[in-house]
Amino acid sequence: MNTIKSLVLRNRYTLLVTVLAVYVLVLVLEGAITGREVRVIDFDNPFFDLIVRNFEEFMDDSRQNRDADQL
Amino acid sequence: MDKFSLLQYRALIRREILEHRNLFILAPTFLAPILFMAMVWIANQLDPDDLGSMISYLAMLFNGLSPVEMAPIFMLGGIPFIIVLFSCAIVYLLVTLYQDRKDSSVLFWQSMPVSNLKTVLTKIVTVGAIAPFFYMAVLFGFYLVTVIWLSILGVSHDIEIAGIGYMFMAAVVSLLLLYISAIVATLWLLPSVGWLLLFSAFARRTPLMWAAGVFIMIGFLEDFLFGTQFLANWVESRANPNQYLIMSFGDVFDRIFNYDMLFGIVVGAILIAGAVLMRRFID
Amino acid sequence: MTNIVHARSLQKSYGQFKALDGVDLDIPAGSICGLIGPNGAGKTTTLKALIGLCDVEGELTVAGRDPRVARHKLMEEVCFIADVGILPKWLRVSQVLDYVEGVHRKFDRAKAIQLLSTTEIPSNKRIKELSKGMVTQLHLALVMSIEVQLLVLDEPTLGMDIIYRKEFYDRLLNDFVDGNRTIIISTHQVEEIETLLSHLVFIKRGAIVLDASMAELAEIYTEVLVTPDKRAQADALGPIHVRELLGKKSYTYEAVPKAELKVLGELHTPTVADLFVAKMKDAKHG
Repeated sequence: MNTIKSLVLRNRYTLLVTVLAVYVLVLVLEGAITGREVRVIDFDNPFFDLIVRNFEEFMDDSRQNRDADQL
Repeated sequence: MDKFSLLQYRALIRREILEHRNLFILAPTFLAPILFMAMVWIANQLDPDDLGSMISYLAMLFNGLSPVEMAPIFMLGGIPFIIVLFSCAIVYLLVTLYQDRKDSSVLFWQSMPVSNLKTVLTKIVTVGAIAPFFYMAVLFGFYLVTVIWLSILGVSHDIEIAGIGYMFMAAVVSLLLLYISAIVATLWLLPSVGWLLLFSAFARRTPLMWAAGVFIMIGFLEDFLFGTQFLANWVESRANPNQYLIMSFGDVFDRIFNYDMLFGIVVGAILIAGAVLMRRFID
Repeated sequence: MTNIVHARSLQKSYGQFKALDGVDLDIPAGSICGLIGPNGAGKTTTLKALIGLCDVEGELTVAGRDPRVARHKLMEEVCFIADVGILPKWLRVSQVLDYVEGVHRKFDRAKAIQLLSTTEIPSNKRIKELSKGMVTQLHLALVMSIEVQLLVLDEPTLGMDIIYRKEFYDRLLNDFVDGNRTIIISTHQVEEIETLLSHLVFIKRGAIVLDASMAELAEIYTEVLVTPDKRAQADALGPIHVRELLGKKSYTYEAVPKAELKVLGELHTPTVADLFVAKMKDAKHG
């Protein structure tokens, strides 16, 4: 255990390589076990769709109304 | 852990704020008036009739909504602040364990009875909870002025957008949601936080080049060695803001207690442990 | 007397270069120890190793702890001033006090303010606005307001003018030294601290070439001014150093009984500076 520790902590490069190796190993193992795909939690917030969609319509409508009023 | 040991965090965090006040305080303080003036300028450039339509649209949108329901709409106004906060957070994390080694003040910091673990944890708390707090404080002022301005605009067009008290409450709720989002985002992006800190502690110069370069290299290496792209997939999953933007209080639990979040925290902890150990190589 | 620093065969390499090559060191508690050596001899590396700022191999105990295991615990007992002005430039003087008060449980703010009041350092100025001498004064005031067992100073007066240097050492003696606390000072300007020291360590090329108390020094080393007629006799006793002095020759001996030397001429204890020159030359030959 102590030899491993002194080997890893020998200098900044041995430490960096060790940390990155553990990092990659954990990610690849987890990926292989869970069959990782790009995964995104769906979240729904009706407001944004509503805001964007309705805003365009609303502006068009009100422009048409104004044009009609002027005629 | 005794009381003094916990109290040390106060002095440590105060140091971070003083050292990086440009990133945490000046940046949002400059952004707020510029953003507000831009809004006023755009409103003035618009055709008065179009502006009137927009105001009535807002009024219609807000009609019958409670402040909590209104809050997400206000969060849109916070987006520029979030972008600046994100950029400043990246700069901070890259610089924070690098700068003091470069100007050799690290010898002073390290001559104080503060462990490397405590130093690194302070940085994470600062970027995840303290910096967002300052941004939210500035954003609060920004919302306040904006709500008053909207009300005045409404009055000048003979439209009541919403009760000014209602809008104000909605603004406060949106600040709360944004603050919680910032904390959830820090947890969700803990691997990125750890990565930046690791290279901030490692690099003798240009920490950004190291952090970015090694990241890309490892991606290629995985593909080359194992023929897999788990790393790339994982990064793509992480990058989506939907994962940490909290739009309603009910989301908080689900966002924190799910497998991906917890796995990310484990990976982040590996990199953060690396940064803590790396801190012993200061010369 | 117990030793506050105990080191055996410390090793440290930077690539091919051996900064420390088997350093053995015993510094008694309560002493004022000078660590003296030419530039690049390993002074800074040794001092950094003592406070856990530099990983070394070998056996090392400082104030009863291994500095490599828990630096932050050790730093409650040890203070350090490095050879470069290392106080963070962007902090104000009052903010430095706030910080140290916040992280160091043994810091006495009232004492620091009292010490600073005797200097011309304004408390609202940033460190970068202070002169080099003032920064060192400030740092000294900080560390002297902390109740520690050991104070480590690495070339503390480097780049300071003579008035500040004198004042620095006077303060150190008056306010810090109480017989229990230990000071280790590294320098390459021997003359300046000679009179302060109770213990002397010479370092050369990463190895200790002398480690003795001043009292021991007077017993071991003898300097004799030898007249020309006795030179052959003097050479036979194996001097470690010979130098010309006003037409006479001065011989320095190590561990030669004073009774044997008496016949050569008048005996002196060599000054630290002379001894330093002798030992550095000696090490070069040996």
